[in-house]
Amino acid sequence: GGVSAGATNAALVGRIIRVDHAGEYGANRIYAGQMAVLGRSAVGPLIQQMWNQEKEHLKKFNELMVAYRVRPTVLLPIWNVAGFVLGAGSALLGKKGAMACTVAVEESISNHYNNQIRTLMEEDPEKYRELLQVIKQFRDDELEHHDIGLEHNAESAPAYSVLKTAIQLGCKAAIFLSERI
Amino acid sequence: MEAEAPVRCQLCPPQRALQASAALRRVSDEHKKEPAASSSQHQFDSHPTDQQPEQEPQGPRPSYTGQGGQESEDYESEEQLQHRILTAALEFVPEHGWSAEAIAEGAKTLGLSAAAAGMFHNDGSELVLHFVSQCNTELSELLEQEQKLVQLGETEKKTTEQFLRDALEARLRMLIPYIEKWPQAISILLLPHNIPSSLNLLTSMIDDIWHYAGDQSTDLNWYTRRAVLTGIYNTTELVMIQDTSPDFEDTWRFLENRVADAVNMHNTAKQIKSTGEALVQGLMGAAVTVKNLSGLNQRR
Repeated sequence: GGVSAGATNAALVGRIIRVDHAGEYGANRIYAGQMAVLGRSAVGPLIQQMWNQEKEHLKKFNELMVAYRVRPTVLLPIWNVAGFVLGAGSALLGKKGAMACTVAVEESISNHYNNQIRTLMEEDPEKYRELLQVIKQFRDDELEHHDIGLEHNAESAPAYSVLKTAIQLGCKAAIFLSERI
Repeated sequence: MEAEAPVRCQLCPPQRALQASAALRRVSDEHKKEPAASSSQHQFDSHPTDQQPEQEPQGPRPSYTGQGGQESEDYESEEQLQHRILTAALEFVPEHGWSAEAIAEGAKTLGLSAAAAGMFHNDGSELVLHFVSQCNTELSELLEQEQKLVQLGETEKKTTEQFLRDALEARLRMLIPYIEKWPQAISILLLPHNIPSSLNLLTSMIDDIWHYAGDQSTDLNWYTRRAVLTGIYNTTELVMIQDTSPDFEDTWRFLENRVADAVNMHNTAKQIKSTGEALVQGLMGAAVTVKNLSGLNQRR
């Protein structure tokens, strides 16, 4: 049962699924944090909608993780707390702060997915067709969230560029660690 | 030749033995350029039935001669040969222990000189690792078979507890023929230069067992389950090497108790978690009520 590893590069696929799973898990927690603060505001339904999409993403990666027999990152509890704190913290800066956080994170994730797509295409687009399809779809979803964030005045958030840079640095570190640990 | 090489690499199956033989074939191919055109189609296969008009007798397999591109194409890779020697050596372990002597005896039964044992470390490391790897493969096949039978509806699906017990028992029973010398094997596996390999073998075996047990965890449970099962396996192994009861029944009883304890702990933890969650929900409800009563909860 399950997906046959065949001639696929198991280590590469493992890293990809592990880090993507961690990413979607973190994104879930970020939106949960934002909802905790802004859930009953005007922007609540919008955040809820984006959160629902992330839940779908996480569900998909849970399935892939079992199918490809990949181990999850040990850092999940940390991403659990850090994600929630980031979401709630940015939401406390107001609706624009939450949107700025969304823009920063979704931009990081989209770039990350693009890198993975490039890697898989270089390896063998046919062998990794299913995985490529999933990642491409999710990348498009994340870009959509990014654009929604921009539409809702993310750029007018207090200290927007500082916030954005800090968050994206954090994302880079999280990605680096989750691939390996 | 340029066009063939990259394509051949992509289709190379991951098994090291086959990669090794492909690499060796490439070397021997460079010595035989002219008939290459017609045989290029078959070079993707694992063992090409070659077009060479060799008259090699098909009796005992030719031994490793190291003569570049001169052997026939059913030349086996060094790794395959090593596997055969180690498998043959297992028969001599009860007498000679996990050692170079056993390997030398094994080599002799294959018609090779005892000096073939020189291919290996003289502490018996490869022999033990080979045996463990073989046992793990056998276990995986067993579990795969069982899974097929369950899928076809020919056997009942076991409870997780029963499944883990049976899988560990099956795996430990493979040690029985070598149980006298097993303490020596354990100490060999714990040698610093063997630890990466032995740890790898242990973790992949435990992961296999959980996979077939139907584990679908994608959080920290993934780690705790494997850690717990590894602990159970190791302690049961230690009990087994000191067990003198008929058919190791003390060991199996020990195993049964440990697995039951683990399942018990898991259930208790689940109960605690759900009680805790219920408590938290109760407190949140109380807090919201207080906020409502004091008018702090009004939407602005």
